[in-house]
Amino acid sequence: MEEVDKILIHALKQVGTEVSEETGSVKQFSSELIVEAVVRCVRVIDSGLGGALPTSLPPGMSARFRVGMSLAQACQDIGYKGEIGYQTFLYSNEPEIRSLLMFLVEKLPRESAETSDQPQGKSAVLQRAIAAAIKAQLSVPWLPPNCRLPLHSETQSPGALHRFHVQPLSLPHCSPGKKQLKEVKDYHRDILPPVTAQPSHHASVVASILEQHTAELSAAQEWDNEWNSQGLLSRLKPQEYRSRKLTRLRKRIQEQLRSAAQPSPESALGGPRSTCDLSELLQAFRGSAPSDHILTKGSHFTHTQKFTFTQTETSASIPFVHQSDGDVQLRQQEEQLSLQQQLQQLCSEVDQLTADMKHMTVTHAQVLDELKQRELGNSENVEKMQVKKKTIDLLPDSDDNLEKLKALVEASAKRVVNLASQWEKHRAPLIDEHRRLKEICSKQDLESSKKLSEIKSLHDKIRVSTEEAKKKEETYKQLVTELENLPQDASRLAYTQRILEIVSNIKKQKEEITKILSDTKDLQKEINSLTGKLDRTFAVTDELVFKDAKKDESVRKSYKYLAALHENCNQLIQTIEYTGTILREIRDLEEQIETENGSKTVANLERILSDYKAIRQENSALAAKVREG
Amino acid sequence: MELCESVQRGLQQLADPSVFSPSSYRELLEVCYRSLLSSQADPGALDQPELKQVEQISLKQSHTAATTFILEAVKQNADKSTISSCLEELTFSAERIDMFYNAHQKHKKELEHLLASIGRCPRHINDVTWRLQYHVKNNQVDKVNEPFYCISLNTENEGSSEDINFTCTVEQLQDLVGKLKDAAKSVEKASQM
Repeated sequence: MEEVDKILIHALKQVGTEVSEETGSVKQFSSELIVEAVVRCVRVIDSGLGGALPTSLPPGMSARFRVGMSLAQACQDIGYKGEIGYQTFLYSNEPEIRSLLMFLVEKLPRESAETSDQPQGKSAVLQRAIAAAIKAQLSVPWLPPNCRLPLHSETQSPGALHRFHVQPLSLPHCSPGKKQLKEVKDYHRDILPPVTAQPSHHASVVASILEQHTAELSAAQEWDNEWNSQGLLSRLKPQEYRSRKLTRLRKRIQEQLRSAAQPSPESALGGPRSTCDLSELLQAFRGSAPSDHILTKGSHFTHTQKFTFTQTETSASIPFVHQSDGDVQLRQQEEQLSLQQQLQQLCSEVDQLTADMKHMTVTHAQVLDELKQRELGNSENVEKMQVKKKTIDLLPDSDDNLEKLKALVEASAKRVVNLASQWEKHRAPLIDEHRRLKEICSKQDLESSKKLSEIKSLHDKIRVSTEEAKKKEETYKQLVTELENLPQDASRLAYTQRILEIVSNIKKQKEEITKILSDTKDLQKEINSLTGKLDRTFAVTDELVFKDAKKDESVRKSYKYLAALHENCNQLIQTIEYTGTILREIRDLEEQIETENGSKTVANLERILSDYKAIRQENSALAAKVREG
Repeated sequence: MELCESVQRGLQQLADPSVFSPSSYRELLEVCYRSLLSSQADPGALDQPELKQVEQISLKQSHTAATTFILEAVKQNADKSTISSCLEELTFSAERIDMFYNAHQKHKKELEHLLASIGRCPRHINDVTWRLQYHVKNNQVDKVNEPFYCISLNTENEGSSEDINFTCTVEQLQDLVGKLKDAAKSVEKASQM
């Protein structure tokens, strides 16, 4: 029973019942503890059923009674077949409680126990580690900044933090396959600083290195995935596949750009304008700093313009010195006017000229086109003329020429037929060859696709097995860590060992029982044979003595004694048997007394009495209240 | 621990005794840790007499690979078995693995600190001073008669302290206190996994 009780208590503790360390058996359970244990079990088994039940007994007697009743009802709803009522909980007796608890523990859902056996995922291990770290940090008392030791500075003072700022690093790649330029190599060898010195802020070294590594790794993974899924099917070498993908992408980008750049009908004017804008923007961007530089390098026109302007200025400034003010003003105005007129004239002339020029270019183009057309027509005409000339030449000797022509036609027809037959001759083997090659090709195709699928499946297998290996390694590690973390009382192992011990004990006992049984059988046999022997010897002696008794007086006496002896012996045996049965009865009764004692009848009776009194008091109090009310 | 191809190549070079002699191997490890942990960038970190005999390009590659490996190991909190199995795959000899691991253990704390210094962190509250004031009236209302709290949080960030001042009503203060309690509770909950 002790083992059973231990298992029960262990299970109850797992459910959440607070069983103190001292209670080692169900016998020591108090009513409160029983109620709590049963309620918790019921809650785990059926949360809807147990949700309404309180885990502790209320103080009032009638309320206790009600709780007991509802608990008993809940247990019956779950499926408990044994006898149960409020008395089971309030006036407990050991065997009943044990059977009830055993039933409930068996009913507990197994999954919770199984999941605790399963190895938790990586995340669970990580979370546990995080929890442990937080716990450790929480256990350290907070200290004001002045009292902090370096030990605390890690967690309690934030220290200098900087952002995850990444700068691109340049690494000296030298893959064996690629040839690099000598200059690049020289640069890598002599000038490139080590990676840790490359970022402009030393603080971003770590971030940059980590980022670089992760980027490279993820790119490699991406490529692997793509190659396995699509690249293998394309039956190209990796480089070819890459270049093809590159051209495809370029084409797509070009198409996208073209479609975006194409002017939609309503914004036909907008299209070129936007390109204009772009070029302007580029111009502005390029020319913002050295704009005057561009001006100095300007066209011939600007040069001449400048030249004329400076000339007029100098020519204007020369007379300015000699004349009087009014004259000067008048003359200046006149000059200005005339100059303006001149300018306007010139401008209009220029405009006209440009318009003329445009017109001229257009007409020139038209004329050129016309010329081309004419030339074409000319050449055609020349050809026609030649044909006609030939026919005219042939006309005078028409019959003869006709014959000749017919002969020519016939000959050419024959030649055609001949050629066709020759072609047929050549064609048949060529077609055969073609078919053969096609077949070979298709075969090879089939083979290659087979091999491809094989390769693919192999790749898959490789991937799957590597993943499995990784997973297994991880689970192994987790299990190791879990094993290290596990509390040292390996309850399961102990239980199984105990169960095995118990089983072996039972086996031994069984053997002993069978031994004893065979012993008793032997004894019974002996007893039977002895009684038979006794009967027979008695009958023989009885007969012998009876014969002699008629003759001799002393023998008669001895016969009487014999009879008396036999009778007495029988009586003795009977009394022995009787005492045996009585002893057995006594033992039974003693056992009964023990069980009765175990069920705490007296104590329970006393408790029932006191509870009864309490109920009466409550009732009378209530009655008094009613009366008062 | 997964490593990309260039790092693997660099580490394989580092493992090769014909490229890195034992003394230059030790020196390169030292240089790696020093260049990561020093407060200033040192462009001449690799100009060591022991490293003169190594070809400069492979030296730089190995340096990059080794620093990357070190940082990854610290980032993933790799234990000895992980590190040694990883290096074994890259043909490191047992002696070199031991050397690497010892150096790693020596500098692990500092490196962890270095990694932990990436990020941001709100200001830490060090102290609180408060004052209960009573709002009697203002220019719009003649009788207000409300208590309010003036609270000053003394905060600290990267060693510099700053006061954050604000006022709040009783309800707002209760709300704040409740939220702080929630936060404390959830931290405690997180520690009991």
